[in-house]
Amino acid sequence: VSPDRARRRRETGGDEEAPRQNGSGSGRRRGDQPQTDGDGGDSAIGSNDLQDDDNDPGLRREIRSKYRDLINSVQQNREDMLSPSNNKLTEVLEQANKLFKDVRQAREAALDAQLLVVATDLGKEKASQLFSEGAAFDPTAFAEHLLSFMGLNRLEDGDDEQNGVDGYLPQDAWHRLARRADWCFRTAPSFHYMMGSFHAEPPPPKQRIERQRKAPSKEAKRIMPTQLRKMEESHQEATEKEVERILGYLRGYYGDEPTSPISYYEFVIDPNSFSRTVENIFHTSFLIRDGLARIYLDKAKLPCIEPVEEGEVEAGGPSSRKQCIISISPKMWRVSKFQLLTLQQHKTLL
Amino acid sequence: MAQRRRQSAPQNQSQAAAQEEDDDLTFTQPSTSQVQRGLEKVTNAQVDQKTAEVVQYVLVKDQKKIPIRRADLVKHVVKEYRNIYPEIIKRAVRTFDQVFGLSLVEIDTKNHIYILVNKLDKEEGASQFNNPTNPKIGLLFVILSVIFMKGGVVRENLIWNTLKKLRVDPGEKHEEFGDVKKVVTDEFVRQRYLEYARIPHTEPAEYEFRWGQRADMEVSKAKILEFMGQLHEQEPQSWSQQYREAHSSSAQTGTSSSQR
Amino acid sequence: MSRQMGDSHRRFLQTMMANGIVDEQGAKTLYQRCCEIHNTQYAPDKLDEFIDILNSRLQPLFMQIRKGMSEENGQQYYALVNMAETDVTRMSSDYADNELELFQKTMDLIVSSENGKACSTDILNSADTLTTKKLKKSETEHLLQRLVHDKWLTEKRGEYTLSTRCIIEMEPYIRTMYQDQVKVCHICHNFAFQCQICENPACSIKIHNPCVARYFKGRSEPRCPACDDFWPHEIPEVRRPHSHSRK
Repeated sequence: VSPDRARRRRETGGDEEAPRQNGSGSGRRRGDQPQTDGDGGDSAIGSNDLQDDDNDPGLRREIRSKYRDLINSVQQNREDMLSPSNNKLTEVLEQANKLFKDVRQAREAALDAQLLVVATDLGKEKASQLFSEGAAFDPTAFAEHLLSFMGLNRLEDGDDEQNGVDGYLPQDAWHRLARRADWCFRTAPSFHYMMGSFHAEPPPPKQRIERQRKAPSKEAKRIMPTQLRKMEESHQEATEKEVERILGYLRGYYGDEPTSPISYYEFVIDPNSFSRTVENIFHTSFLIRDGLARIYLDKAKLPCIEPVEEGEVEAGGPSSRKQCIISISPKMWRVSKFQLLTLQQHKTLL
Repeated sequence: MAQRRRQSAPQNQSQAAAQEEDDDLTFTQPSTSQVQRGLEKVTNAQVDQKTAEVVQYVLVKDQKKIPIRRADLVKHVVKEYRNIYPEIIKRAVRTFDQVFGLSLVEIDTKNHIYILVNKLDKEEGASQFNNPTNPKIGLLFVILSVIFMKGGVVRENLIWNTLKKLRVDPGEKHEEFGDVKKVVTDEFVRQRYLEYARIPHTEPAEYEFRWGQRADMEVSKAKILEFMGQLHEQEPQSWSQQYREAHSSSAQTGTSSSQR
Repeated sequence: MSRQMGDSHRRFLQTMMANGIVDEQGAKTLYQRCCEIHNTQYAPDKLDEFIDILNSRLQPLFMQIRKGMSEENGQQYYALVNMAETDVTRMSSDYADNELELFQKTMDLIVSSENGKACSTDILNSADTLTTKKLKKSETEHLLQRLVHDKWLTEKRGEYTLSTRCIIEMEPYIRTMYQDQVKVCHICHNFAFQCQICENPACSIKIHNPCVARYFKGRSEPRCPACDDFWPHEIPEVRRPHSHSRK
């Protein structure tokens, strides 16, 4: 602050800035305030005989606003000012000097100081450019070159420049640049897939009762989902009951006539129902498997079935027993049924 | 795991990060002897299985180029095998190297963060197999180039103003990039391509950009300079300071294995 | 003859990662290129052995390069697929949960259809039935575009089919989820979606369009290979690999 300024302040007098009332922005108060001999009063407003300019709040505001504009323009257009191709920084400083002539109050001086800090910083950087080796790098020029590379179609008409938009970029502009730029990168390719990216519940197995299915072992029961397990258990119970029943019949028939061989086919075939026939074959197979019944061939090489005595059950275990597969189709069943009926009729005739 | 009072309010990003750091703090890298003892208790097949899971995890995280935290690896994948963590990582690094030609590198040794980088050079020239590149790479390239050519750190305004000249305005939604400011200051930063840090004592707050740790590993300064030269029709050597930096030993981004 | 993995294998694998699927000719070209770049010995007819070495290293990671036929052109393709289903693989971030749900519904539509196609209208309608977050019409359309771009679906004239990449990778999934609905092609024994069906209701075997072309080539009177009934459908021409350059 120049001595001039300091003197002016003292002469203004007054300590604090009197609180403004009702937006009395313009004008000064005359003769209202007592005159005091003060020092340092910052933005004193008091009646005095000094230049109106010093105290005109409107003017003060204007000066502060101009300073702020200058500071902003330096900050916003930093790299523009850094460009060695112009003297914008110098112009700003010249404007600052002009403004400074009108600075009267510390508030304005503070802004002036702030502007100097910003400008000096810039000046420092600009100076370093002069002394740095090698070519300068101008981001503005860089942007221009990039636009050309991306395929900017510059329009011929000068009129369009008024909009600030000269030319238009093709749609794949950034793709073009990305493809070229990609060579500077060592990105790892990424792995994409669909399988395993989501969980889906498999559909529940159909409730078909598979005839050839073995009863599940204990381990299989443990890992089976609850729903399935319940179905298995009830199915198993039903099977066991049926097997017991058939064993009862077999023992019964055998007990009645121990010397008369029981034809296997006679035993399992139900002349009235194909499906029941199939079930009988199924259940009978359990008896064979568990060694509770035995199939053997009679003199005519036809299969016969007889129960195994308790105690007679082979110690060898299931692996020592031979197994075979019996199949029957509706056709066969019809033929057999006919034969059976014929046989029965024949028997009754005898 | 020590009992910790959970915050009832939804966690914001910094709180979540702090939480994960805490998780990491509970994991201390086991010593070599600890690893040895741990290895005696498991079969080779088990270790290989865990290694495969780590490889899968890293590949998944790399889909979006999100760096992998050691804390997450331990928590989600390694789990009860944490006492032999160094061995598992060693095998994962070897798998990526031998099977994929990729490097699993720790870019942040303090916070233990990994990324995947390529060991093989990209084939130059158009090829039927060059899948269309992500346009964001173009955007990233512009920013990284300016930072590099300007000595390694720039104020954010320089970046925004340069982008504006390319018809990319951070204040407006861009046709290709959407919310540009978010892509640049959030996505690229999270991927560790950029660093976006506040300049102290600035009011209003101003930020500056630097290269991120991923850029340091993935991007070749020499190749940037080469492209610069083509664009400006100048010799790359004319930017002598940058040229020196690009070809210094610290700038080498790993061995090059491509041949012409 | 066990060869070691080299950079040529790694470059091949990286290209497969970036592309997902490649046609047979493309794979051969790529194999040659990879060997040239890395100065590796190259034998033109050893592509499958080359891939076997890769697969032996990918197997423990539950990844494979699998071969499959395109239902469109009958050519062979190679796809890099994932085979694991774990908590980790479910972290894949390409698609959101509701997007994946829509993809599953699209698959349902395609599998249950007669011609292996689902029209966009039906897919848009199923977007309303999502149990996860709903998808708007515009979001569904955008999603379908992405699925086509990522080569999970193929689109022609508003109808969507399972892409070759999808059929190759999702084969185990299709087998489990649609076991009662899918049938295999009588000729090549792979799943048949876009195919011709024998008109005999007791027969109903399916044959892929390209398989029909090959099987019935040159035959004056096409007959069903299973039931000998007259094959009533138009027999397409056999397509040569180089006639169309598009994948």
